Amino acid sequence: MGILFTRMFSSLFGNREARILVLGLDNAGKTTILYRLQMGEVVSTIPTIGFNVETVQYNNIKFQVWDLGGQTSIRPYWRCYFPNTQAIIYVVDSSDTDRLVTAKDEFHAILEEEELKGAVVLVFANKQDLPGAVDDAKITEALELHKIKNRQWAIFKTSAIKGEGLFEGLDWLSNTLRSGGG
Amino acid sequence: MFSLFYGLWNYMFSKTEFHVLILGVDKAGKTTLLEKLKSLYLDLEGLPPDRIVPTVGLNIGRVEASNAKLVFWDLGGQIGLRTIWEKYYEEAHAIMYVIDAACPSSFEDSKSALEKVLRHEDLRGAPLLLLANKQDLAGAVSAEDLARYLDLKELNERPYMFEAVSAYNGTALKPSINWLVDMMERSKRTEILRVRAGANGRV
Repeated sequence: MGILFTRMFSSLFGNREARILVLGLDNAGKTTILYRLQMGEVVSTIPTIGFNVETVQYNNIKFQVWDLGGQTSIRPYWRCYFPNTQAIIYVVDSSDTDRLVTAKDEFHAILEEEELKGAVVLVFANKQDLPGAVDDAKITEALELHKIKNRQWAIFKTSAIKGEGLFEGLDWLSNTLRSGGG
Repeated sequence: MFSLFYGLWNYMFSKTEFHVLILGVDKAGKTTLLEKLKSLYLDLEGLPPDRIVPTVGLNIGRVEASNAKLVFWDLGGQIGLRTIWEKYYEEAHAIMYVIDAACPSSFEDSKSALEKVLRHEDLRGAPLLLLANKQDLAGAVSAEDLARYLDLKELNERPYMFEAVSAYNGTALKPSINWLVDMMERSKRTEILRVRAGANGRV
C-alpha cells in the first residue's frame, strides 16, 4: 500500500525516487559499487557490518541505494530492509567460482521473499577485471536466472574498480522503473 | 462445496493467462515491440524507441487484449543469450518471432535461429506469429518476400502467420495480436498447458 502511495505521489509530482537494495555474498564488491556510483571514485572498503546507504541521482531518478553487509551472520537481517523496495541489485564476484552455488542459493531465497515480489532484479557479474572471472552467460547459468518468469531481470558485466558496466546497469534500472517495472 | 462452485466458476469465467514469447535475433526490435504493445493496450506511455538498449535478460509486459490476459516475455537476442530462450519454452503458449525486414543481412541468422526454435520439442504445437518488422523503414521487404526467403519447412502442425508490422509506429500490431489470441484460445497446446498447470496445483 505504501508503494502505491509512493508511486502515485511520484507520478503526480514528477520527482521519482526508487529504493534499491544492493545484496550479495560478502566480498562481492557491494560497497565499492555503491561508492563508485555515488562519488565516481574507488574507495577502499572494509567488510560491512550493518549497512551503508547513499542517494544516487541518475537519469532524473533518485536512487536510494542500501548496501547491506554480506556475511553469513548478518544475511538474516536483510529482511528488515525488504519492504518498499523497487529493485534489487545482486552482486556476484565472478572470479569466486567456488561460491557460485552459495550465491545462487542466497539469490533464490531472496526472490522467494513475499515483500520483494514486485522488485525487478539487476545482476552485476562483478570483478570482471580479475583473471579467472567468468562472463555474464556463465553467471546467468550459475544463478539460474532463467527460473525468473514473473519479473524483469537483466545482467551486466561490471568492474567496480574500473567503473565499467555500472551505469549501463543503472540505465536499465531507470528505464525499467520508468516503464512500469515488473 | 463452496470451493467446488468457486472452482467451477473460475474454470468457466476466469480469463486464461497466456504466455507469449517474443524471440528474434538482436536488433530485430523485440523490446520496441513490447513497449509499443504496452502503450497500445495499457494506459502507459511505454519507453520511447531511442531509450531502448539491448536486452540482456528478460523484459515483461502484462496486458489485456481481445478479452484475454497476455504476459509477454521479451528475451535478449544476442548470440550468447539465446541459450536461455529454451528455458522459457515449456510454459509458453505462443511465439512471436520478430525479424528486421529492412536488414536482409540479418535474414540468414534469423532463419537458422528460428529453425532451431521450431525444432524444439518443448514448443510443439505453439502458434507462431512471424513479424516482418520495421515496415516504417524504406526498403523493408514484404511479409510474402520474407516468407519466401525463410522457406520454413517444419511448420506442419503449427498455426502460423506472417504479418508486416512496425513496432515503431504500431502498424498492424493489433490485428496480429487478435490473431494470436484467437489461435491460442483454440490451440491444443493451451489445453495441455492448462492440464499441466492444474496438475501442479495452480488454477
